[in-house]
Amino acid sequence: MSGAGGVLALLAWGTVIGLDLTTFPQVLLSRPLVAATGAGLLLGDVAAAVQVGIVLELFALDVLPVGASKYPDYGTATIGAVALLAQRPGEVTAWLGLAVGYGLAGAAVGGMSLRLLRLLNTRAARRASAGLAAGDQRLVRVLQWRGILTDVARGAILTALLVAGASVLAAEIPDALDLAPVSAVAVGAGLAAAAGGAYRSAGRGSRPRWLLVGLGAGLALALAR
Amino acid sequence: MRRGFWRSYCRLLVVQGSWNYERMTGIGLGYAAEPLLADLKTADPARHSEAQVRSVEYFNSHPYLAGLALGAQVRAEDEGAPGELVARLRTALTSPLGSLGDQFFWAGLVPAVMGAAVVALALGAPPPAVWIAVGGYAGFRLWTGFWALRAGLASGPQIGAAVGRSWLTRWAPRAGIAAGFILGVMLPVTAGRLLGGFGQRELLIGLLTAVVGLVGGIVLGPRLNSVRFGLVAILGGLLFWGLR
Repeated sequence: MSGAGGVLALLAWGTVIGLDLTTFPQVLLSRPLVAATGAGLLLGDVAAAVQVGIVLELFALDVLPVGASKYPDYGTATIGAVALLAQRPGEVTAWLGLAVGYGLAGAAVGGMSLRLLRLLNTRAARRASAGLAAGDQRLVRVLQWRGILTDVARGAILTALLVAGASVLAAEIPDALDLAPVSAVAVGAGLAAAAGGAYRSAGRGSRPRWLLVGLGAGLALALAR
Repeated sequence: MRRGFWRSYCRLLVVQGSWNYERMTGIGLGYAAEPLLADLKTADPARHSEAQVRSVEYFNSHPYLAGLALGAQVRAEDEGAPGELVARLRTALTSPLGSLGDQFFWAGLVPAVMGAAVVALALGAPPPAVWIAVGGYAGFRLWTGFWALRAGLASGPQIGAAVGRSWLTRWAPRAGIAAGFILGVMLPVTAGRLLGGFGQRELLIGLLTAVVGLVGGIVLGPRLNSVRFGLVAILGGLLFWGLR
């Protein structure tokens, strides 16, 4: 899919993903691997999209999206990363690192946008505190839908900015650069993130033992291939 | 099924829609409570008004499990429990439902499912494997929301004991173990898949970056989070090799 229809479909997908992160329906659509697979389908290169999706997923596995904690928005950022990779078809090995870097920057910006959304919701709730204390149910509905629609707008704006930014970046970067080592660095950093996350979440008890058993099994599987 | 159950269930799916730093998911829970409290409006209008005010006060838990608290609160309101007790019940459920849900879903099932999807793709499964993982998880998430609201309504103020006896408490540690094992399998398999396509120089660069990132993350802790390290490493790589 290409042209205006493709861009609109990508915007719609990015909006759905942005909403899935914390608002609705929270069913893994905002995971980088899932977001990338969908974006790859829309842009016509699933294999390349899955590649960048896997690396960003490694980074996302380091994050525990708990309540009020600050965390990056990897889902919409992945759309930007896939859009950047799609500008250079057939050059996945070279451009993977740049796409991952772009995705990481986008995830950080997305995390900031989530905090801004929460601050706006806080301000709205504070202003409505008298009505809420009086049991005004209409006000509850207004606040709830206002929050949901603001999150829809957040996802749409973020996706639009990231997709537009990807086009600009792809046009600005010269062809002659040696980018394969940068891609290897991105993969290494992703592996470090996932390994660090697995190590930290293992804690005590039997989980660290099972992590080691898994590492052994994975190593055997990797060597056997 | 109790009148208003399905409307409340659907509203619970967006319980974090107006998440804010003061009431957290309180407004979302109040929004979901409205259909279930409708019967109280005709039976006892004064009580209904008080119950509505209580329903939007501060609350936070794992979003999938908010139905347990909502159901328990509505049942307590129906039974005419003192308002103070209802408020205390709500506050008391915040931390346990939060930590139990985080343990089972965010630290257990989600990494297990995503890790398994990454392994499947790295071993050559076609991309639709991702949709199978999402579909299975989505079905389970929707069922959990249904179970939570039903269990909350059935248990009322005894919800703590009901949760303690439930599958969730038994399976939370097992989900963590499964996640640990699957992530362990994922790391070497994915490293082989992603770095296998590069030349020897890039393979060494990738492995060295992974070791530096892992050790740096463990030594420096949250000061060197994965986004920061990733961005610095990629930018460094771009300056050192890309722009040379």
